[in-house]
Amino acid sequence: MAETPHTEAHAHAEHDHDHKPHGWRRWVFATNHKDIGTMYLVFSCIMFFTGGAFAMMIRAELFKPGLQIVDAGVFNSLTTMHGLVMIFGAIMPAWVGLANWMIPIQIGAPDMALPRLNNLSFWILPFAFVLLLSSWLVPGSAPAGGWTMYPPLTLQFGASFPMLIFAIHMMGISSILGAINVIVTIMNLRAPGMTLLRMPLFVWTWLITSFLLVAVMPVLAGAVTMLLTDHFFGTSFFNAAGGGDPVMFQHIFWFFGHPEVYIMILPGFGVVSEIIPAFSRKPLFGYEAMVYATASIAFLSFIVWAHHMFTVGLPTSALLFFMFATMLIAVPTGVKVFNWTATMWRGSLTFEPPMLFALAFLFLFTIGGFSGLMLAMVPADFQYQDTYFVVAHFHYVLVSGSAFAIIAGVYYWLPKWVGRMYDMTLAKWHFWLSAIFFNVLFFPQHFLGLAGMPRRIPDYAVQFADWNMVSSIGGFVFGLSQLLFPYIIWKCVRSGQRVEGTRAWDGARGLEWELPSPAPYHSWTIPPTEAMIARGAEH
Amino acid sequence: MEAPQRTRQPVRIVICPNCSLSLRGAALFFGGLCLFCLTLAGVLALMGMWPVLPFAGLEMLLVGWALHASLARRYRSEIITLTESDVSVESRDRARCQLTVFQRHWAQVKLRRPASQLHPSRLTIESHGRQCELGSFLTDEERYGLALRLQRLIGRINESPSLASGPK
Repeated sequence: MAETPHTEAHAHAEHDHDHKPHGWRRWVFATNHKDIGTMYLVFSCIMFFTGGAFAMMIRAELFKPGLQIVDAGVFNSLTTMHGLVMIFGAIMPAWVGLANWMIPIQIGAPDMALPRLNNLSFWILPFAFVLLLSSWLVPGSAPAGGWTMYPPLTLQFGASFPMLIFAIHMMGISSILGAINVIVTIMNLRAPGMTLLRMPLFVWTWLITSFLLVAVMPVLAGAVTMLLTDHFFGTSFFNAAGGGDPVMFQHIFWFFGHPEVYIMILPGFGVVSEIIPAFSRKPLFGYEAMVYATASIAFLSFIVWAHHMFTVGLPTSALLFFMFATMLIAVPTGVKVFNWTATMWRGSLTFEPPMLFALAFLFLFTIGGFSGLMLAMVPADFQYQDTYFVVAHFHYVLVSGSAFAIIAGVYYWLPKWVGRMYDMTLAKWHFWLSAIFFNVLFFPQHFLGLAGMPRRIPDYAVQFADWNMVSSIGGFVFGLSQLLFPYIIWKCVRSGQRVEGTRAWDGARGLEWELPSPAPYHSWTIPPTEAMIARGAEH
Repeated sequence: MEAPQRTRQPVRIVICPNCSLSLRGAALFFGGLCLFCLTLAGVLALMGMWPVLPFAGLEMLLVGWALHASLARRYRSEIITLTESDVSVESRDRARCQLTVFQRHWAQVKLRRPASQLHPSRLTIESHGRQCELGSFLTDEERYGLALRLQRLIGRINESPSLASGPK
């Protein structure tokens, strides 16, 4: 054991509030929640651009009819890998990164409850994605049956099949470990005085998200294990020839998959619920209603899975049940949208980049919600199923609901993390380019879907050519404009103007804004006072 | 110049981990979670998809372990009492209560960094070949802060700084 020298250096270290390890060990052996949060966010950014590159290739191929750039097999692999990488590699790790950074400092805890488990849950991820992405190199190329992995198509993959299954297992383990850590931290490490109904909404939404993760991840693990045993061990869970039922896979996949959608969106609700009050200079309207609405959405997410599979031949009673249950989700979601709007009502609004992205979230997510209601109607869904209308719908929900909320959260908390303010002008450019070209990219896909263009095809009839070209142009500009995001962060870290005081935004409330900027490496080693908690909990 | 001695009362430091979850709350929470997840997995198993069940079971074991590991903190406490002559450490956990007394003049505080960063640091008070570990339930950063405070109060070996000027 190396002994710590008993020198004055320690006293300085305390004043700096630092004492962090240096070099590669700081990251490989990281147990500090801020370091692990940073690693999650950097990893997520890399995966976002990896998945984005796949999307650019998809849009390039679809720029005009015919096969120009890739063959049909590679195109199918691109759509599959784009989905897997964006969902499991970009969005989910970004949320876990924000949770790692913010939850301990928002509840007054010195760190996550299980820091070594936290380290493990992060370091599983890079290996999972190296495994998944290296499947491009094996015979038969990468998985090509869609991110939903439906049998029997998925069972026909080559060497990439076991790689996919093992990678999914690793991502699942990582998610479960992260979720358990979040649950235990929120339940057991809240500072004295930080009652459940004083917690910031980002913490609430993450708590509920963690329950969803814990509930549904074993279902995904079981489902992909059954695929594995069907493929290699001669079982017939989903093999009709052996007495199995391929539709059953769809049931259990979507029993996981629909809550998964909310896993990606609920933390976004939390972020937006922090940002809108801060830039409206008003407390959040209906804090408790927001909590209950989030819990209701989470509950309803367990009983709507079959709206993803209306066309498989369900009994009428089941169709009706799932249609009405799906429509019911509009009620708590409507409560949320109303409360965000009411928070802004007669507020002193300003439009800094976090607020702009939060407003884009509100507006665009609502459009995605409305197209979701259209898809919930069984007779209409029979027409829309597997068309570009569905693609437009879920991108409106996931890109604006998750990606925009993540970007809003980063722009909101970045000054707290690094103690410097970013270039507002560039960030506003980032916003306007993103918001405009997001719509150029995805809105025409509604028209394409309504006109009958099927999804997951590399070639299409000439009648769809114009809107596909518009969509591709939107995609290229939207994709390229995202390069501004890491540049803005890099520039901020390197040379951003220093933030004076604890609050980067005058309307910001919460324990994180009681800490100095940048947030000390070790925060809340002495719990916050009641007055600090009360100031933050002015709902 | 030495600070004027305002008081000679002992300095008492109580270290106990913050636990916002009660045992009853944890039991209810864990029971509810198990009920929900295992019922779900059980229904799927009855429908023939039994591989979901072992994964759900394993996950509940992991949740149980995580709660247990985090809740184990609530039974731990250490009371460090410093007088002009002595340093006493009363360590309590679920099963025992142990009192260790050192002569303050000869006692020293040591924070040992582990050989591997996978292991936590260790904070001890030592004197005359005896040692007593402190704050093993704290995070590394909390332990570091405690070490700094104790080093100021206890001083190096063969030192006894005035308690009157030290933090309470």
